[in-house]
Amino acid sequence: MSLLVSYLEHAVAVFPSLLRGAVITVEVTTFSIFFGLILGTIAAFGKLSKRNVFKLPSIVYIDFIRGTPLFVQILLFYYGIPGLVTAATGEVFRIDPIIAGIVVCSINSGAYNAEIVRAGIKSVDRGQMEAARSLGMTDRQAMKDVIMPQAVKLIIPPLGNEFIALLKDSSLLAIISVHELSKNGMLYVSKTFAAFPTYISVALVYLALTMGISRILAYVERRLGVSDRSE
Amino acid sequence: MIEVNNLHKHFGKLEVLKGISEKVDEREVVCVIGPSGSGKSTFLRCLNLLETPTAGEIRIEGELVTDPRVDINKIREEVGMVFQRFNLFPHMTALKNVALAPMRVRGLSEKEAYDRAHDLLKKVGLEDKADVYPSSLSGGQQQRVAIARALAMRPKIMLFDEPTSALDPEMVGEVLNVMKDLAKEGMTMIVVTHEMGFAREVGDRVLFMDEGVIVEKGTPDEIFFNAQNERTKSFLSKIL
Ligand SMILES: Nc1ncnc2c1ncn2[C@@H]1O[C@H](COP(=O)(O)OP(=O)(O)OP(=O)(O)O)[C@@H](O)[C@H]1O
Ligand SMILES: [Mg+2]
Repeated sequence: MSLLVSYLEHAVAVFPSLLRGAVITVEVTTFSIFFGLILGTIAAFGKLSKRNVFKLPSIVYIDFIRGTPLFVQILLFYYGIPGLVTAATGEVFRIDPIIAGIVVCSINSGAYNAEIVRAGIKSVDRGQMEAARSLGMTDRQAMKDVIMPQAVKLIIPPLGNEFIALLKDSSLLAIISVHELSKNGMLYVSKTFAAFPTYISVALVYLALTMGISRILAYVERRLGVSDRSE
Repeated sequence: MIEVNNLHKHFGKLEVLKGISEKVDEREVVCVIGPSGSGKSTFLRCLNLLETPTAGEIRIEGELVTDPRVDINKIREEVGMVFQRFNLFPHMTALKNVALAPMRVRGLSEKEAYDRAHDLLKKVGLEDKADVYPSSLSGGQQQRVAIARALAMRPKIMLFDEPTSALDPEMVGEVLNVMKDLAKEGMTMIVVTHEMGFAREVGDRVLFMDEGVIVEKGTPDEIFFNAQNERTKSFLSKIL
């Protein structure tokens, strides 16, 4: 009984700090979703392009990011790059951890988004492009009016899963002292050793956040009519 | 109108068209028959440059369209195409399907394009389906919308690639009727089809293709009832 009481006390005590962490987590995730979408769309079209100047860099980017752990990417960017700059210029160079976190998460998420966007575009029936082209529409017109509206419906659901994964994966930023949700939990545990109540609280806050995103996504999907009509 | 000279098409090592030469006059209706894989679709697709010919020349109204400097989109505006599997845009109503290209490509105002689309849907007997999405239309209706869509660009030539072979038998007639009307109005048409009745009623000539060449050609009756070539005869014996 007293154990339960002490656990509850810890949960209450750590809560404000977890909320502050959650704000950072949401902030980092939101920015990363935004930039990751832009990067992902660019890389997707790059990889679909027939021209090697666009195609090759996109492939290298996507394969490198998807073939290496986010954890290592965080370390490489936060410690590796400033170290490199310092070695090269002799000047001390540091990056703000939150900025670093947003940059790395955006780059990481962009690579996964690129594959989702590309797969969505590719899975629109070939005949659609041919029909549009046979009517004299340009590649660009066909993409905009015919292919993308159909692709978007295929892209949104997996993209949503990607956003949820990104929110959870942002916990890895604790390693570079971004004071997000997990890090604040770890700090509290290091002072109090109350691991169980703290981390269960951390987990529940993540759960609340991911459920929140799911709700938003379900709403967006309904608005876009992802699940209705069109065959 | 269309002049094809020694047209070749390779897909990698596979030579699909092995030197096709043919002339189609204005207002002529030419039917193309031949076994699966003989290159009929590839031939049609070369004519509006959905496939790039490997060698040979294609002239449409005297213009050399196989010239790499030519604007492909301009050619396609004049050459309508109807596909076996309709390829309607599923996220647009029948009306929008028909109106889209005139707006985007010909620069028609929304009103002009929708008026034209209405007229064309009426022409193919589907004025009451204007606001319906393709998924709620039968195959025959979808194909008629697809024909209206191609006509909306006011093409000079219409290409049909097995327009009725994906249809249930009871819907073949409604599509063929639309095509017959079109032929009688004087549209220049090249039609890949095995519908002998259609070929005999409105076809001026029939080409029999096999293994990438035109093996035999003649009037519908010459080909269907008095074929000279053994390959033509054996093919016809299988489909008739
Ligand atoms: N894009 C492509 N890439 C590689 N091979 C192709 C391509 N398109 C067609 N082919 C091949 O070219 C050959 C001729 O195909 P085509 O579609 O022109 O035949 P078809 O006479 O229209 O046959 P069907 O009656 O089955 O429609 C076939 O062997 C086909 O596999
Ligand atoms: Mg074919």
